[in-house]
Amino acid sequence: MLTTPRLTAIALCAALNFAIGNVVYLIKLPIYLDSIGTILCALLIFPDRLAAIACAFIAGLIAAILTGLMLNPFLPWFTLTILSIAIVSALLTGLAIETFRARPLPVPRFLGAVIVCGLVTGVVSAVVSAPVVVYLFGGVTGSGSAFVVAFFLKTGQQLLESALFAGLATDPIDKTLQVLLAALLYRATPHEFIAMLAPARTSAA
Amino acid sequence: MTPNGAVAFALLIIVSALLARNLTGLLIILGATTCFALASRRPVWSALGWSSGIVLPLALFMMVVWVGIVGRAPHEIAANAEGSRGAALLHVAIVCLRLFIIAFIVQATFLHFAGWTPLRFIGALALPRVAKKLLVLTLSLMDTILQAVDRARTALIGAGLITRERSWRNLRHGWILVQTVWLTVITIVLGRTRDKWPIENTLTRLEDSLAARATARLAAADFGWIALALAAGMMGLRWWN
Repeated sequence: MLTTPRLTAIALCAALNFAIGNVVYLIKLPIYLDSIGTILCALLIFPDRLAAIACAFIAGLIAAILTGLMLNPFLPWFTLTILSIAIVSALLTGLAIETFRARPLPVPRFLGAVIVCGLVTGVVSAVVSAPVVVYLFGGVTGSGSAFVVAFFLKTGQQLLESALFAGLATDPIDKTLQVLLAALLYRATPHEFIAMLAPARTSAA
Repeated sequence: MTPNGAVAFALLIIVSALLARNLTGLLIILGATTCFALASRRPVWSALGWSSGIVLPLALFMMVVWVGIVGRAPHEIAANAEGSRGAALLHVAIVCLRLFIIAFIVQATFLHFAGWTPLRFIGALALPRVAKKLLVLTLSLMDTILQAVDRARTALIGAGLITRERSWRNLRHGWILVQTVWLTVITIVLGRTRDKWPIENTLTRLEDSLAARATARLAAADFGWIALALAAGMMGLRWWN
């Protein structure tokens, strides 16, 4: 499962997650964009679903650990979110790889796939992240979504529900943007690189 | 102290900080963390400054939300009680102190190995070979990406497609920069995996190098620190309520 080209792809996607996530974190954009590498890794390895889940998760985890050590020590707590994004990317987003690489670009189909996959990824990640946000951060992270949490708390909702609603209000937008960027990067990736990541027996054939 | 002992100590402190539910317990755990940082015999100000820099903005933000807007602590909301801003402030203090301990212990661990290279530190960890290899490759590719960003940015500024300052042109052509960086990195990786690494036998040599750096899993001093972390954790838990 973990051939040398795949190890390199995992490291590359982890480095991509780290680089883009850090830029966004440092310039305090109201989005995360820290899972583009995770989604892209699943797309690159896609037909082999199990390997896609494993490689995407490892890429996301390594990026989270390195970011945790160097910049944001709270990111590794979202390991389950990373796993959920890897699973959704390998099982759902991967189904659209032909649309993502089609030439000329079928704009409506491409956007439709990006939006559906982004929304599903966002909803799943919001549900998985909510307990971490509540337990570790007391429901309020440093992002603008904290005001959404405050709004729901003011209306009498419980903390977990408020964090979940806030996540559901913001995560789908962020994840749709991430799926869009991952799809565009996947589209720009040379075929030679993707072929290199295929299982050994396929390459030999 | 070995890197494995430092990581074990840090993990125990983090788990203790997550389990401790009141200020007294967290302060005890912070005390153990401070001892650990001081034992590195390096200036701890940078570690304290870094951790404060991460937690203070978050603390201010939480105060605005919890004390300013919500005005009640979560347990008061759960009990449907009227609540007070004081209780909300205490909740913010507990959450922020916990986050501070997590940030500080990471930096304190770095202090112990300040003179080490990443390769030496990763090599000394008791991790599977493939995990060590992945970590080293990722660090190497992070450098490659950052260099590619520098080169592509300079080229696109020279071509007049983007500017050094914030501008609409950057927003319009930002995607070209991302795509250029990605293609540059992919080309470099293709060249390395297909030609350079097999010719230079890089991955085998990397594995040998990581194996040569493997040290004892735990040293005697590590057990002392682990015992301190456990004691601090137990004392922190004693003040559960």
